[in-house]
Amino acid sequence: MTQNEQDLLISTLQNRMGDNLQIHPAHLGKASIQVKSDSNRNVMAILLETDKTAGISALTGLDMGEKIGLMYHMRTNGAIVTIRTEVPKENPKLQSITDLIPGANFHEREAADLFGVVFEGHPNPARLVLPEDWPENLYPLRKDAKIDEVTVKPATSESQAETVQPQSDGTLVNVIVGPQHPALLEPEKFTLKVDGEIVKQVEPRIGYVHRGVEKAAEQRTYLQDVYLVERICGICNSCHAACFVESVEKILGTPVPPRGQYLRTIILELNRLHSHLLLLGHAGLEIGYETLFQYMWRDREPIMDLTELLTGNRVIASSLTVGGVRRDLKETDIPKIKTALANLKKKMGFYKQLYETEPTLKMRTQNVGTLAKEDALKLCVVGPVARGSGVAMDVRKDEPYEAYGEIPFKLITYNNGDSWARFMVRLDEIYESINIIDYALEHLPEGPYRVKVPRVVPAGEAVSRVEAPRGELFYYVKSNGTAYPERVKVRTPTFANIPAFLKTAEGGNIADVPANFVSLDPCFSCTDR
Amino acid sequence: MIKEALSQLFTKPATSKYPFVKAEVPEGFRGKQVFDIALCVSCGLCSRDCPAKAIEMVEVEGKRRPLFHLDLCIFCYQCAESCPRNAIKSSELFELASTNKSDLVVTPQASSKKETVHSNDT
Amino acid sequence: MVLDFWFIFRVLVFPGFTFILFFTMFCDWVERKIEARIQNRVGPKFTGPAGILQPFADFVKLLTKEDIVPRDAKKTVFRVAPILSFAILVFALSFLPIDGASIIPNSSFAGDLIFVMALVTVANFLLFLSGWASASPYGAIGAARVLTQFLGYDIPLFLLALAPAFLAKNLSISAIAANQYLPFVLLAPWAFVLFIVALQAELEKDPFDIPHAESEVVGGLETEYCGGKLAFLHLTRDVQIVFGAALVVELFLGGPYGPVFFGLPAFWYTLWFVLKLLVVVVISEYLTCLFARLRIDQVVTANWKVVLPLSLLSLTLTVAMATWVYPLGV
Repeated sequence: MTQNEQDLLISTLQNRMGDNLQIHPAHLGKASIQVKSDSNRNVMAILLETDKTAGISALTGLDMGEKIGLMYHMRTNGAIVTIRTEVPKENPKLQSITDLIPGANFHEREAADLFGVVFEGHPNPARLVLPEDWPENLYPLRKDAKIDEVTVKPATSESQAETVQPQSDGTLVNVIVGPQHPALLEPEKFTLKVDGEIVKQVEPRIGYVHRGVEKAAEQRTYLQDVYLVERICGICNSCHAACFVESVEKILGTPVPPRGQYLRTIILELNRLHSHLLLLGHAGLEIGYETLFQYMWRDREPIMDLTELLTGNRVIASSLTVGGVRRDLKETDIPKIKTALANLKKKMGFYKQLYETEPTLKMRTQNVGTLAKEDALKLCVVGPVARGSGVAMDVRKDEPYEAYGEIPFKLITYNNGDSWARFMVRLDEIYESINIIDYALEHLPEGPYRVKVPRVVPAGEAVSRVEAPRGELFYYVKSNGTAYPERVKVRTPTFANIPAFLKTAEGGNIADVPANFVSLDPCFSCTDR
Repeated sequence: MIKEALSQLFTKPATSKYPFVKAEVPEGFRGKQVFDIALCVSCGLCSRDCPAKAIEMVEVEGKRRPLFHLDLCIFCYQCAESCPRNAIKSSELFELASTNKSDLVVTPQASSKKETVHSNDT
Repeated sequence: MVLDFWFIFRVLVFPGFTFILFFTMFCDWVERKIEARIQNRVGPKFTGPAGILQPFADFVKLLTKEDIVPRDAKKTVFRVAPILSFAILVFALSFLPIDGASIIPNSSFAGDLIFVMALVTVANFLLFLSGWASASPYGAIGAARVLTQFLGYDIPLFLLALAPAFLAKNLSISAIAANQYLPFVLLAPWAFVLFIVALQAELEKDPFDIPHAESEVVGGLETEYCGGKLAFLHLTRDVQIVFGAALVVELFLGGPYGPVFFGLPAFWYTLWFVLKLLVVVVISEYLTCLFARLRIDQVVTANWKVVLPLSLLSLTLTVAMATWVYPLGV
């Protein structure tokens, strides 16, 4: 977002909203505006007028004592603009914005579950992340919630009946995919309402892996939280750590030394490499192409070995910390990294040719699960799902962080919008990641890789975004001057992408559901936190 | 794919022959902790900073020393970083599975007996 | 037919039931090893030398598991269909000459090719019934897919099987196998290639793997089966593969007949049969590893738009060659 666009937006809003709007001092993103709770729809409408492609990035709830604060983090022109509002705790009602921005559906339901805010006009205000038998009126993320008193009731056959027996309503048969299903890596339930072999509607139920990480983060120090948020997702663990430490560093105001930034970039790109290779192989498994799966995972092993070489562990790197990285890169490791990446690049030639020419693969993935560009924008999807539908969105280009501002690379988009396009986006991104790591190794600056930071973080709040392999990862951290954070909000890319699956599955075959589903690279540990 | 599949038929499998062949780990691998009691100053920072609350300070010969619970440990080595005297180091042991819970602790040894490299199978 | 010792030995031990059982497990091992090596991994390795006892170990393991019948399943059909299907397939195999004569001696008759293919259709239909009888949407969808697929591909399979019949001027499998002065794969290679493709569909292997598509319908028609009945379902599938390959060997590759050294023709004929069958199994498994899985509507389209017209064409071509071209050279 250029300064002109920013000024235009602020001045438009001030002109149209008048007294209802104040500029908030804490700059979350490019601007923070405070409005009264009944004007949230007006602000959204004005925002959509200035930028048709604006979407919601996250909706953060905050317990402010007598009130509940709600912050709409809107993504417009490549930057974040935060719109803050407050509702009283005794009567937390707000107008829903789902008719203006359909992508806000899941965000509002989550705030309703965890904070008790009632969004009037929401089309489907059902539970999202908490289980069905969670006590009413107990909202976990409020500071006064007595969670210790919740007892786990044993599951009775009545409570299971609805979920276990497949019923049919009218002519549509319910085919339940999940929570345990070979197509899913992690448990979620999708009820497909089918007519013969055509899927008419998909009803999702997420929250099976909700571990309450956001609440747990409030009870651990910042240093311990780095390890906690890493374990939200095994595959994109470094991205979670990176996003969290960036927020904390913004509050502290400490810049990371250049060598630390470059080393972080290398680790993040290695993370992206192994994640994309995992997904492309998994795609093969879902469409019955086991040979592709075995070959691709065999070629993924050297990346895991590289991660183990650099960080001490194959999967969870635990290498980022507030102020830099935990260990340095040894000179003797650099040739090993280069050789492994050169081998991978050669192998990728075979896979690219396979994805482009193999007839059965193309028959299963082309024109399957098509997501049009307008739907991608309205549903506010992120990552390769958006880039596969022609939306040029990538946090590494929009708001460069770490060393991405200095490293040249291409932004990959495909216009087809089908599953094949999404796979090709990831395939081409593998080439780009290899180039980024090579460039970073060539231009690795000398100097310290870490600075010391105090254990007690001064009061403040910050947001940060990182381009995880699955899309834009968003963190909001608020500190109140102690060693423990007051609020950590995580919005993961798959959380934003699941509504896209609901849209693309409608009208397709049941047989297309796995191929379609795997193309949006679901990671439910991320979704549920 | 036609040629590749046929040629792979005559290639050696990519499977590594672990556990019949030892698995090589790189230097810097985060395995089982090795604790040097001579360097410890009983500050307790390792226990305070452990994200998994896996370090318990116990009394050994009148001083507070850390006891590592390996069944809770996540092997992040924040303890090694927080220790002001570098008393905690990593080893290459990762075959820590055991049927005996008492094998899953690293006790602060009273005498400075060097940890021998052995695996935990009984 | 006298019910003497030799008859019982032939039917039950060799080349009858016991031989077929162990040979099926051996073919299963060969398939798994070939698939593993193509995928650059090891395959079964530890049970028995080079893992050869793995299929047997899997069978025994399944027999020891608890056998659950769903509450709403149609119990008789659920219990009987897999075993009946297996029995019918073994019965169909008994018409194929394995050691120079069919298992039940003197049982071949004119037209037993059609009879054998009809038996296979019945066996497949029983598999459909076993999926339909389990009260589960996955079983129902899997069974419906099995039905769609095998009914559709039976027609081109049958038309292609007629090509060797024309070349041998006989509809009895034993006669077709015996009359191959040149293996028919050389005289009608187009029929051979198409037959292999149609056979992939009959045997439900990639790219026509859809009834077993785990990522969509969990287990297809096998979803509700466990324990001994699942062992028999797996065995049925393996015997089907052996049967299909055996049919290819009899119709196109000259059956068990081949050079005999130092007397004892029964041994040599069995050996040639086994070797030829393994070649067909390896080709089939290689094709399986090569492709992804097609959707059911793509499978059906491939049948009616591609395989069936081509098999009609192949039949016409074979008849034309048999009538006008080949008598000149022989």
